Amino acid sequence: MSPETKTGHVGRSKRRNQAIAFGIFRVLGFVVIAILFVIIGFIVIKGAGAISWEFLTGMPSEGGASGGIFPAIVGTLCLVAGSVLISFPIGVLSGIYINEYAHNNWVVRFIRIMNNNLSSIPSVVFGLFGMSLFVNTLEWGDSIIAGSFTLALLALPLVIRTTEEALKSIDDSFRQGSLALGATKLQTIRRVILPMAYPNIITGLILSIGRVSGETAPILFTVAASFLSHLPGSIFEPVMALPYHLYVISTSGTDIEASRTMAYGTALVLVAIVLVANLVANALRNFFGNKVKMN
Amino acid sequence: MSKLAAKDIHFYYGDFEALKGITMEMTAHTVTAFIGPSGCGKSTFLRLFNRMNDLVDGSRMTGLLSMDGEDIYARNIQVDELRKKVGMVFQRPNPFPKSIFENVAYGLRVNGVKDSGFIASRVEASLRAAALWDEVKDKLRQSAFSLSGGQQQRLCIARALAIEPSVVLMDEPASALDPISTAKIEELIFELKKDYTIVIVTHNMQQAARVSDKTAFFYLGELIEYDDTKKIFLNPRVEATQNYITGRFG
Amino acid sequence: MKHQEKESAALRKNIGDMWSLVQSQLVLAGEALFSVNKDQATEVITREKRVNAFELLVESDCENYIALFNPVAIDLRLMLSLLKINTNLERIADFAEGIARYVMAFEKPAIDPELLLKLRLHSMYDEMLEMFNLTRLSLDREDSRLAGSIFAKDDVLDEINKAATPILADHIRNHPDQVMECLYLLSIIRKIERVGDHCNNIAEEIVFYLDAKILKHAGTAAREAFWRGEDAGVTNCRILREDSDTPVPPES
Repeated sequence: MSPETKTGHVGRSKRRNQAIAFGIFRVLGFVVIAILFVIIGFIVIKGAGAISWEFLTGMPSEGGASGGIFPAIVGTLCLVAGSVLISFPIGVLSGIYINEYAHNNWVVRFIRIMNNNLSSIPSVVFGLFGMSLFVNTLEWGDSIIAGSFTLALLALPLVIRTTEEALKSIDDSFRQGSLALGATKLQTIRRVILPMAYPNIITGLILSIGRVSGETAPILFTVAASFLSHLPGSIFEPVMALPYHLYVISTSGTDIEASRTMAYGTALVLVAIVLVANLVANALRNFFGNKVKMN
Repeated sequence: MSKLAAKDIHFYYGDFEALKGITMEMTAHTVTAFIGPSGCGKSTFLRLFNRMNDLVDGSRMTGLLSMDGEDIYARNIQVDELRKKVGMVFQRPNPFPKSIFENVAYGLRVNGVKDSGFIASRVEASLRAAALWDEVKDKLRQSAFSLSGGQQQRLCIARALAIEPSVVLMDEPASALDPISTAKIEELIFELKKDYTIVIVTHNMQQAARVSDKTAFFYLGELIEYDDTKKIFLNPRVEATQNYITGRFG
Repeated sequence: MKHQEKESAALRKNIGDMWSLVQSQLVLAGEALFSVNKDQATEVITREKRVNAFELLVESDCENYIALFNPVAIDLRLMLSLLKINTNLERIADFAEGIARYVMAFEKPAIDPELLLKLRLHSMYDEMLEMFNLTRLSLDREDSRLAGSIFAKDDVLDEINKAATPILADHIRNHPDQVMECLYLLSIIRKIERVGDHCNNIAEEIVFYLDAKILKHAGTAAREAFWRGEDAGVTNCRILREDSDTPVPPES
């Protein structure tokens, strides 16, 4: 066999292997999209019937089996806002500290490992911890603030890590360029590094909002009321929350079958809130991204 | 008196001795080129003059490094004040994600200049000095990223000039650029010599030959030969220098 | 061997071939002269064209090498000196042709042997050939001391050249029928002397290539000092001199 035919043969099998490999990748990629659409479609089909103005703005009745879910929506929004307000400053600042200020020694490595460990702790353990610290020891009782702090703890590792990653992805040459002009480290971070990191830090925000708004276990012990027919008056009062409400009306109550539609409707609202949060955050991300370039 | 002087400089990254006793002086208003194979210590040495190596964990230096006769590693030296006097241009163009104007104004702003009229005049003067003004004067508010690579690098030079340094360090300033942009940068270096003392690290032998007055050849952390560029490129004293510049190395 | 080295080796082979050709031209012109052999003289004149072709070849070799490899330091000095050696070789070949043309013009079948002896023309020609061979040898061996030894030999040529005029004048007075031959001989002696000068130039270029020392226009004392290895004041390269625009006037 001449060398040409030999190499020609290898070339063919190379192309065939490539075709097979990319075929598999493509199919798997579509499977992911398909799963997402199936879930969303399932919830939309099952829950769309429950959605009405009344459902969104009304107070629940009959243990949640009828009426609206307004308090749960408000509660979830309060908890998300509260936990983001707490976890974001702390998380972003410690991310900045770890990546920009701390020297790369054992302390930083330890913090990083602990942070990763923290993020892998089951959420129910956070709930238990939040209950013993915020609810009992600090005597805040079941309240929005206790729930927000607990959820903030849960979101913190995520925020720290995404902040760190966002900062790490910025080329050192920008830091050096700024420092070489006589800027201090703080000026460099404020004027150059953070504006560049905003888009990616906001991704962290998106992820933590998604995570926080769907959690059930931590709020179970710290904030959530299974049934409230009024809105909370202050942050020291308990509140309903969508995930927990969903859990309650799906597992308990007098007529589970009758409240099924209500459950799907609640799930739909929850998914919609997360999706809207994502969209808003994405828009913010693009806005900052452009602003960074154009500023 | 020499503008920059190094006396018996040793520099260590941890246990690794990156510079093994460098002694040399650089005259004001000259261009000095550092050449040598990768890892020979030339960039490390360059970064000592604006104390960029302070940022490297586990590094230390011994010896005396002075500018205008003043020890730049003395205790009373404020590093950010030093860096105002010793500008730096990096290998890859690294404009900030800001407008062209703000990039040049950055150095003034971080050093506390508030007078917007003064800032505007410095920005224009610096852009002119960097031979960029005519190309960008109508789009100062546009993003610096909209410029070509060569323009970005000249913007970075303008940015360094805005704070009126007396020394400009250049770390392979044209290595990421096409030949036309490179030629512009080289022409610029030649022009800037009138007002600044320039030290340039380059891997491009022809570039060193074209732009510099003096050339220093580094190898394995040592200064092998330092002489007039014409002498180095016609008749180097040391065989290692000749082997390197003629491409017979190793 | 690296690509660049192959190229410079090929270039040096070409100029070496040219050197051999010029040498054979000189030898043949000498034979033609001493035996007044017009056939040999004709051959010298015909082969001159080949020397010219070689000159162009070596020149374009050097140009290509400089354009493609941007030589510096010793590589650059080699190219610069080869370019000039090339020109000098071509001039030397011209003198060989010139001698051959005078041989063609001779009317008598032989030159008066007594006159040749008095003029020391044989030893002059041998000395010149020896100088020429030494230039080749010193480049091949990259031996700048050997190149330096060429300068001293030139003195012999100068001395014979100076002595030639009164001898020939005397001869013309005694043999008025040989006026033309004597005038031709004087011109030939001048040409031999010029070949010696060009050998000197080649030797200077070889020293520049090997040691980066400028002996050109540096005077006899500096050359002799160089040969003795003393390097008296010749180390300053012309390119390095601040006043390089103003050439040093050559010694009279």
